[in-house]
Amino acid sequence: MKPTRLLVLWLALSPLLSVPAFAQGAATPNVPVADAATAVVVAVRRLSEPQYRQSIADIFGSDINIDARFEPELRENGLRALGSATLSLTSAGFEQYFNLSQEIARQVLVPTNGRLATPCAAAGTAVFDADCAQQFLAHYGELLFRRPLTAEEMQSRLVMAESGTQRAGSFQTGMQMALSSLLSAPDFLFRLERAEPDPAQNGEWRLDAYSRASRLSFLLWNSTPDAELLAAANSGALLTAAGLQAQVDRLGASPRLGNGIEAFLVDMMQIDGFDSMIKDATIYPKFNQLVADSAEQQMIRTLVDHLVVQARDYREIFTTRDTFLNRSLAAVYQVPFVSDEEWAPYTFPESAQRAGIFSQVGFLSLYAHPGSSSPTVRGVKLHEIFLCEHTPEPPADVDFSSVVDSDAGTSRDRLLDHMNNPGCIVCHQRSDPPGLALEHFDGLGQPRRYENGQLIDVSADLFGAKFVGAPGLGEFLYNDPRTSSCLVRNVYAYGVARMPGAAERSYINAQIEQFAGNGYRVPELFRQMALTPDFFSVVMPEGAPLTATELADAGQ
Amino acid sequence: MAKKTLGRRTLLRGILGGAAVNMSLPLLNVFLNENGNAYADGSRIPPRFGTYFWGLGLTDTPAGGTRWVPSTTGFDYEITPELQAIAALKHKVSVFSGFRAIPDTRPNLVHWSGHASILSGIAPGTSSRFEGATLDTRVADAIGGATRFKVLDIDASISRRPVSYSTRTGTTFASPDQSPLALYQRLFGDGFQDPNSDNWAPDPAVMLRQSVLSAVTEQRQSLMRSVGHDDQIKLEQYFTSLREMENQLAVQLQRPEPREACVVPGAPDELERAGSVDRVNQNTQALARLLAMGLACDQSRVFNFIHTAGISETYIAGQSKIYHQITHDEPTDAQQGYQLETSKLASQVMDGFGLFLNELDAIKEGDGTLLDNCLVFALSDTGYAKIHSLENIPMMLVGGAGGRHKAGQHIHAPGESVTRVSLTAMQLAGAPVGEFGAGSMRTARPITDVMA
Repeated sequence: MKPTRLLVLWLALSPLLSVPAFAQGAATPNVPVADAATAVVVAVRRLSEPQYRQSIADIFGSDINIDARFEPELRENGLRALGSATLSLTSAGFEQYFNLSQEIARQVLVPTNGRLATPCAAAGTAVFDADCAQQFLAHYGELLFRRPLTAEEMQSRLVMAESGTQRAGSFQTGMQMALSSLLSAPDFLFRLERAEPDPAQNGEWRLDAYSRASRLSFLLWNSTPDAELLAAANSGALLTAAGLQAQVDRLGASPRLGNGIEAFLVDMMQIDGFDSMIKDATIYPKFNQLVADSAEQQMIRTLVDHLVVQARDYREIFTTRDTFLNRSLAAVYQVPFVSDEEWAPYTFPESAQRAGIFSQVGFLSLYAHPGSSSPTVRGVKLHEIFLCEHTPEPPADVDFSSVVDSDAGTSRDRLLDHMNNPGCIVCHQRSDPPGLALEHFDGLGQPRRYENGQLIDVSADLFGAKFVGAPGLGEFLYNDPRTSSCLVRNVYAYGVARMPGAAERSYINAQIEQFAGNGYRVPELFRQMALTPDFFSVVMPEGAPLTATELADAGQ
Repeated sequence: MAKKTLGRRTLLRGILGGAAVNMSLPLLNVFLNENGNAYADGSRIPPRFGTYFWGLGLTDTPAGGTRWVPSTTGFDYEITPELQAIAALKHKVSVFSGFRAIPDTRPNLVHWSGHASILSGIAPGTSSRFEGATLDTRVADAIGGATRFKVLDIDASISRRPVSYSTRTGTTFASPDQSPLALYQRLFGDGFQDPNSDNWAPDPAVMLRQSVLSAVTEQRQSLMRSVGHDDQIKLEQYFTSLREMENQLAVQLQRPEPREACVVPGAPDELERAGSVDRVNQNTQALARLLAMGLACDQSRVFNFIHTAGISETYIAGQSKIYHQITHDEPTDAQQGYQLETSKLASQVMDGFGLFLNELDAIKEGDGTLLDNCLVFALSDTGYAKIHSLENIPMMLVGGAGGRHKAGQHIHAPGESVTRVSLTAMQLAGAPVGEFGAGSMRTARPITDVMA
């Protein structure tokens, strides 16, 4: 829907909608749970690029054009969601968001067909309409900040809109300025999670209802809470078990649950960096940006189809030979592409040895060098992504001077030369074997049986577990209980932006058991976790004002 | 060209017709303590500062020999094989050898501790983070306030992820421009005002944009009261970025000072993305040319330039191994006594630095060149890369710093902390910093030999 039409619609419907009391201009704002005087900010999480885009699309319409370069994200402990809680905004980043805020405000409040489509009767005039401005800002302010605006926040925007109207001689411009200011505020660009004193437990803190709404919405839909969810926060219903259940049922039953799960999988499986992938053109002449983009799409399509659409057992992503292909990928896989569609389902024959998500071109090319494969890098990533096992930093004091350049034909032989070195073996005996099992695929993921004229051996021994090739590695991972516990821990960390600690051990174990009991179905896992109190737990940050009294004092 | 006579405040008041505007004014040139060069019309040329980073150091040998440390010290030092690229400019380049990063009880985080120590003064506990603000931010705070961009961050490396080693918080690093077109648009696209234009008038839309930010700023205090320590640092960075935006807008409301060296360039062609060293050097040259003109047009006075990252992904086109792998795997040649391929790559990486400096030196400014009015602090992440050595990390100071740098010397100080060179750089650049670094790397002793 066009934003202009959306605004007209909003105008028409606004008297009928259940607009929060404050939006209707009540003298005392009705902000029952996000009271700034007693709330403590317990987490500051920068919106990711997809979250920013989806929020704008949900609030103003999907035809708002967003053309900007977003700040790089940071992955911590395997997840960008964790990195988002440590990142701030650089000046270049703020500049981008600020310019974007004006561009979005211009598109939302745009003159159409010679007629100004601003919210109220005063639209298109040079006269400031305070009631209209207040209604507009209360409605969109709540959607953008994921909570109602405070009286001060509202007041400062009204003053700005009024003076802007006067200075520019246009109400529309005044409103664009106020909207741009909301879009540049930390309350929009970051998810500020707030805690409030828990009335049920003296001296304890709980996540406030609006922050709960955000956790739910970003987990399940990867977007900002919608009006219904915000209403449940406003009424306090979200703080009750029944109210929570009703919202989880609603969000979980929506097809948009797929967006939420996809965003999580892309984060956990580290499906990024395809925009800037580099391959040497003489060694991999088939590589181009279309191949990179297709490889990324293939991984996402495979995972979403398998885990969301078909809701199959999570562990099968390590063994499945089912995927989707397009023409440019078929060339890299060296298989025929016969469909008229852009993408077509495809099942690799057993002889191709393509079993498991890690045997796809996306994974194989991402974790390789510009001109060669890298069993070590692939092995490190397999451990990190699927087993949550992080390889320690390479020790600095390894005596590389005894390492000589091997003239052995295959990567295996070259790596085995390293293995004679006691400093290297500690990590390489763990990182290399899974990667060596994938050596039938070169640095772009193309099939091969020989390297430098020598037959490649893809057998591997990981601390006594022996397997051969990608199918063997897939079986190994399928049967390894660490893969499902890794997934469960990642969903939790992704949702709350904190690694589960010792205090959460029994909770996580119970979740893992329930996940297994539900047939390792990921959508079920998302729903079950969103219903638990632990998903909304709060850790008070160091240096935070500790008591409501201290807060009030500080505010004096 | 006629100098402006109207005061800025008067001007702004006049334009706004008395409307209440919250406006921050940048530091004016005349307030800055400069002892630099002057333009032909007598006005002062501002000092500039930048860092230049390349990955994987330069080549030493297991026997203690080296491919880069000159055998002579002081002025007119010997040009060694890996310093060939700076031969023509060596009278403007001071080379520092023998300095080391000292992590004390901290680990040597490979391809990280070295430059983290040089830039932040502290050896960090974990990779991906620094534990202090980097020195460019301190210089920028001192000399970067009067221009549109307080700092320009540029990454020529063509790698998987944008590379930047500039941070205020230790966790959030700058997001650099990576292509000539992106840098061009930033410098000379929207918001650029030709300093030599006769038809300058303030844009009323800019004033409206300024007041948009004021409502956000008003929230600062109440927000800061309710957050924990780490989040306070994060939000402080956010508000610093916001202030820089306000400053950028304020600068756009002033008539720019004429800059005789400024010639607005045309838009560059986009280069094809490829990470081989010849392409990285091409990208370096194209970006350096734009940067140089951006400095000459006074769009910024501080920059950070990345040639290649600490774990450099660059390689020789058509070769399957990347430079980083080669530094570790290649044996020392029995006859020559050093790693042949590694040294060849190091020389090519330094060629990029030569191209970079040539661009800065090509612009005439006052009696000299732009480079004479700059101080470029060039550094790498490691000494002998094969063993991730934190000793003998190559560093250079280039350019006259407006007459403050006694350039063209080789300073050899084995075992001394790298932070001494960092402190020297900051002081030459005009930052009011008396001491720098922590633990064994804390120092209050700049290298006075290179200070005029």
